[in-house]
Amino acid sequence: MRDFNANLSQFEAANAQVVGVSADHVATLQAFTEANNIHYPLLSDFGRKMLPAYNALVTDEKSPIYRYAKRAYFILDNQGIVKYMKIQDNALDILTADEILKALKQSGV
Amino acid sequence: MRGTVRVFVGIVAGALIALLLATEARAIEVGQKAPDFTLPDPGGKQVALADLLGKGPVVIFTFIQAFTSV
Repeated sequence: MRDFNANLSQFEAANAQVVGVSADHVATLQAFTEANNIHYPLLSDFGRKMLPAYNALVTDEKSPIYRYAKRAYFILDNQGIVKYMKIQDNALDILTADEILKALKQSGV
Repeated sequence: MRGTVRVFVGIVAGALIALLLATEARAIEVGQKAPDFTLPDPGGKQVALADLLGKGPVVIFTFIQAFTSV
């Protein structure tokens, strides 16, 4: 999250909006945004409606992060068409902002 | 009477199959339209995907939990 924040100007230069989504409560995301001076919106899917539609909700009851978000990345063009997506099986497989910027440029949006 | 029952069963079965196919089609895929959403931002304002798309391409990332390393 902080990595995207540090590289936000590069996304803005590409005219792209960056948003993060988690199943955290909106108050948690508000505190986190303020504590870390995040300059893009972190959206709350506390009701778990968006995350399953994006195949980004952990549904394995044995998982320690059951009912939380998977780590996933999506690039949509301005018509809402998915141009790139990466849904990580391992929550520790974090893509850098540079990697997403590269994917953004390659997607041609 | 029996013919009517058969037609009715056929219609219900067809509707169920169509529903299953439609559910499959909604799974997110490259090249397909992303599912719409409206979610609150930290200020409590509702943000719709359509609003974001009105400003250009959108990068969405999902994360497990705030205030953790993941």
